[in-house]
Parts: sequence; C-alpha cells; structure tokens
Amino acid sequence: MNVGIWHRNMVAWLLVAALLPAAAAVLVEQGGIAAARFGVALATLLFWQGVFMIVRAQPFSPIALVTAFAVSLLASGTTELWQIVLAASFGAVIGEQIFGGWGRNFIPAGVVAPAFLYFAFPEVSHAGTGALVTLALAPGALILLVTGILSWRVLVGALIGLVLLTMVFGHAPAAPFMQGSLIFGLIFLVGDPVCAASTRGGGWLYGALAGGLIALLGWADVGIGAPQAVVFAALLAAIFAPLIDAGIIAMTTKQWSPHNA
Amino acid sequence: MGTIGCVQLCEICSAQWADIHLARQMRADIFERNKRMNNGMKIRVRGGLPLPPVGSPVNGTTEVATTERVALLGADYPGMRARILVDQGDIVEAGAPLFEDRGKPGLRGTAPVSGKVLQINMGAKRRLSSIVLAANNEAPLRFDVSRANSNDGVRALMQETGLWTSFRTRPFDRVPSIEGKAAAIFVTATDTYPNAPNPRHVLAGQENIFTRGLAALKHLTQGKLYLCQNAGAALAEADPQIVIVNVSGHHPAGLVGTHINRLHPPTRQGPVWHIGYQDVLALGKVLTEGHLISVRTITLTGEGLRQPRQLQVPMGADLHALARREMTPGQKRILSGPVIVGRECQFLTRYHLQATVLNAKAVAPRHWFFAALRAAAVPEAFVPTEALERALGPKLHVVPLLRALSIGDAETAARLGCLQLAEEDLALATYVTGGEIDFGMRLRSVLDVLEAS
Repeated sequence: MNVGIWHRNMVAWLLVAALLPAAAAVLVEQGGIAAARFGVALATLLFWQGVFMIVRAQPFSPIALVTAFAVSLLASGTTELWQIVLAASFGAVIGEQIFGGWGRNFIPAGVVAPAFLYFAFPEVSHAGTGALVTLALAPGALILLVTGILSWRVLVGALIGLVLLTMVFGHAPAAPFMQGSLIFGLIFLVGDPVCAASTRGGGWLYGALAGGLIALLGWADVGIGAPQAVVFAALLAAIFAPLIDAGIIAMTTKQWSPHNA
Repeated sequence: MGTIGCVQLCEICSAQWADIHLARQMRADIFERNKRMNNGMKIRVRGGLPLPPVGSPVNGTTEVATTERVALLGADYPGMRARILVDQGDIVEAGAPLFEDRGKPGLRGTAPVSGKVLQINMGAKRRLSSIVLAANNEAPLRFDVSRANSNDGVRALMQETGLWTSFRTRPFDRVPSIEGKAAAIFVTATDTYPNAPNPRHVLAGQENIFTRGLAALKHLTQGKLYLCQNAGAALAEADPQIVIVNVSGHHPAGLVGTHINRLHPPTRQGPVWHIGYQDVLALGKVLTEGHLISVRTITLTGEGLRQPRQLQVPMGADLHALARREMTPGQKRILSGPVIVGRECQFLTRYHLQATVLNAKAVAPRHWFFAALRAAAVPEAFVPTEALERALGPKLHVVPLLRALSIGDAETAARLGCLQLAEEDLALATYVTGGEIDFGMRLRSVLDVLEAS
C-alpha cells in the first residue's frame, strides 16, 4: 500500500498505547471501581459512535478508549455509574459527534464529559491521583513526543506556564507534578492534537495559556490536587485555541499579503 | 501500512537526530561553498520526510531505449480543448504539430518521433484522450532557429516545436498563454523523489547544450532566472539574471513549489513560470541541432522489477513495453511518475521523469456489511501531527491550510497561500495522512474556483 501511517485511527491507537502504563497504575491505585467506571464510559461512548455511524455515516474511532479513560480518571471519587453514563453521553455527542467525530471537534470529549459532571453534580467530591500515575505517564508522553503526536511546542509552553505561575503563587515548582490526574490532563487533554492550536506560534501561546490556567485554578481556586483545575483549564484553552490561531494567521498573512493579493 | 509504514515511523524518529548531526556538518559545508561562489543562494528545507524508496535505486549507466509506440496524452493538459491537426494514418515527422488548444495557441503538442498516427482517442466530453504514434526512422522536421535571439523569436520557436508546454505557471500550475509575462522563471534541476534520476548525471557531458537553452530562456523574462540545483558545483554560470540556488533537504526540498515559496512567491498579477531541466536541455538541443530531439532520461524502478534501470526514451514512451522484459511474475501496476504522485498510465506522461512498477495487491474480501459501512462513511478527518507539519515544503500554516482545503474554503485557502501550490506539493500530506483525503484533488477544486473568480 502506498500510503503513510498517520491515519486517524493510527494516531488514536498510539494514544491508546501511550495510555496503557497509566491505566495499569490507576488500576493499582484505585482498584476495580476504576475499571467499572471505564467499562461503563466505554460502552456509552461506543453506543453513541454506533448511533452516529448509522445516522450520519461517521466511522468508528478508537479514541473512545482514551475518552473513556479520561472520564474514569477525572470522575473518580463518589461518582455514581449512571452519572458517568450521562456525562459520557454528553461528552461524546456534544463534544465530538455532532461536529463530525474526532478530528473535526474543537473541544476534546474527554474534557467536555468531566466538565459536565462537575457542573451537573456539584455535590460529588472528586479526588485526584497520586505520583504513581505521573510516573506511569512518562513513557506514554515520550512515545507521543517522539512520534510527533503531542506537539512539543504545546507541552513546553504548558510546562513553562504551569511552573511560572506555580512559583508566582509561592509553591515549589515540582508540586504540580505529584498530581497524576493533572499530568494526564496536560498530556492527553491539553495536548490533544486535534483541539490544540494548529499554528506553530499558536502552539506556544496555547500551551502557556493552558499551563497558566491550570496553576491559576489549582492554586487559587479548587486546589491543585482536584481534577477540576486541569479540566477547566483545558476547556478554556481549547475554546481560545481557534482565536489564538486566527491571531497568528492574521499577523503572518499580513506580511504575505503583497505576494498573495 | 505494512513495511512502508514501519520503515517510515522509524525513519521519522531517526531523522530528527540525523538532522541535528547533518546541520552541523552542513553549516561548515555551506560556509565553505559560499566563500567559493559569492553569487549563489541556498535553500535548506528543515522539515521534509525521508520517503522510503520502493524497490532498489538505479546504479549503472543510462541505456538508450526506444519503443514501437509513443503517445501524447490529453490528461497532461487539464482543461484543454484540443483542435486535432492530423488524421489517423497520417505519416508525420518528429516536431510536426498534432494538436493545439483552441483557447491557448501556445499549447501545442508535437510529434516526439517520426512515424504514423495509429490512433486518435477522444475521451469524455470530446476531450482529447491520447494520440498514439507508431515510430519509424524518418528524418525529423527542421526549424529555423536563427531568430531565437529575442523574446518573440524564442516564444515562436518554442510554440512551433511544442516546447512551450514545458512551462507551467504559478498560480494555478497550467501552461501559460503565449503572450504571458513571467515575473521570474524557475528552472528545476533537482529531484528529491526516491529513485529519481540525478540531474547532475543526466546533464553530464551536455552542459553546453543546457547552457544554450538557459541563455534562450533569459529572453523570455525581465525578471530573474532561478536555477535550482542539488548542492554542489554550479550547473551554469551565474550572471545578473541567472541566480544559482543550492537546494538541500528531504523530499519536498526538490519541488518547485518549495523554491517558489522561498524565493519569489507569485501573485495573480505577477505569475512565475517553471520548467524542468530536461526541457531546458531539449530547448538547447533544438537550438544546436535545428530539429526536435524529444527524449527523456527516466528511471524505471519499483518493487515489481528484477532490475531497476535508467533509460533514455522518447517522450511519451510506452511504459508497458519498457517494463515488460524486467518484470517479476504476478500482476503489476505501472505508474508514470514516482509512487506518491504517479498516475497509472501506459505511456510516459509529459512532466514525469520516472516510472514505477508496483505489485498489484490483491484486495482481501470483506464481509458485505462492513464493506457497505466503509463505502458509506464520510472520509475520516486528518489529525495534525509533526509528520504532517513537515510534509509541506513551502513555509505556510500547514494545518489551517489543509483544513481549509479539506472543506473547500477557497477564500481562506487563498489567504493561507494555496495560490503558490500545485497538486504535487500536497502529495506528501496526502501520503502522510494515509490517503484518506486527497488534498491534491481538493486543492485543484479550490484553484478552479479561484481561477474562475
């Protein structure tokens, strides 16, 4: 076959592969309930993919595995399984499928679903995960960086924003890296190749904005250990990503305009 | 996917390291070279992808080969409405006109060899499909080359000999009109497709003829004449008009779109023209010999061949006949052109310098239900990755541009620079993303909209 490998499903499978060590770590840390949440979320997501396959001819994508993992990790705590079903449905349909499926959406479904949960059921308390998950995320992040799925511009920008603002708030720069769900969100939600800013300069700005927002929300609002910080930071950054791109394009194409008249 | 996919994955990873190493080495080289030739320019493509070659590269000398039949293809000139100037059964001399575009008088196809007109095939909507000639060894048509010392003289000669079709313009990548003005002309003497013929080897021993062709091109424009070559000794003498450009880097480095973007981005008011090195050589030969010697030095490579070869063949040569002796058993696909942009075609197309023989893969039968689901599905969106960022030679906003093209947003695509591009510039993007969306086709439909506006 005379085609390259960066097909949509290939990227999704690589994201899944990068996730495996972290999944094992979560299972060790939280036990069977995490697996139950994951299973319910995955079944819900696949159901909606099936619905949109039949109604709108949108092909299936393995990205459902990543979204399901995001939901199960970020909706830990005392969340009921029926709440997971509602959140995953909202995330899949409103976050992804109505735009045409993964690749055409502008906010990751893995962000929309937990955000829905936090708004709809504010009484549920959520807990983050520990440093073991961070450690398990490292090889995955490396895979994604080397294969170029995770933009290093976004990652470096986010780390700079996160560390700088953490220091501004007077905390140790290493403190955020003890939080597994925060680092997961940073790599898989902020770094989602589809929803991140797509221009080169925009990647830096977008990353810095996301990192800064994580620190701001974490230290000044919900607490750095709570998964809300990274979810809302990723949500806001993803909403601003098209604006950042538009700004970068407006700035650079102004320089080109005499050529492209 | 298979082997190509795996090789590519590894190569992309290693390329980043190799790049760093190469960069150090080359910085020293470039410094040295610039000291030697103070008039040269250079383009170094930092992105690009090391494409896995299909089949082994050619080593050895160029063999001269002829085929019984040669053909001119209508598909090489999209949008042309041909006036056919010969009849089936006519005996024509090499250089005699066979067809002409009704809309663009400069676009004229001439017989690459002397022979008999075997077939005139018309396609859909009465467009020319092909004119097939049976070659004989009669004498070629002679041309008056004495007037090729002025703008009008060179234009008239190129129109008469059919060499005018060597030029294509950017924007739109079409043959320019005979009265057209070029803001600059790009001569492409570099080729970064895997297994492509090396321009330096092809031009070896014919430098004087090439220089003569180049000198004639200078009459055609007030602007610069960029000679884009592989890094190394200059292929021609630089002067106030001729700029020697040394090109280095992975694949899109050799595409003219990359050079045009870096050196002279075109506008609709100031289009630039480009021409391949073998066409300049052909012009030089007309000027020295007085008749058309329409040959191409091509490589015939691919996994379906026992032995890859470099051949000098007539333009429009019959690829099936050339490949037949060397093919391994089994079903084959014969492409005119490199793997990623080639067209399945019996005859060598106008602008390609290589032919590729691939093994035809048997398609595994699928369950009818899954086959139906797949057939009905909308194309999967592409996911931006670093590989995609590197797939475009021109310095543009790759992902926003591809997104605009994939939804057919002509206005945004134009703002993002699609007027500089042609199908070949996007072939690597299509390749990298697994061929789900044909960006070249999308670009053409956007360009058609822009051209009509």
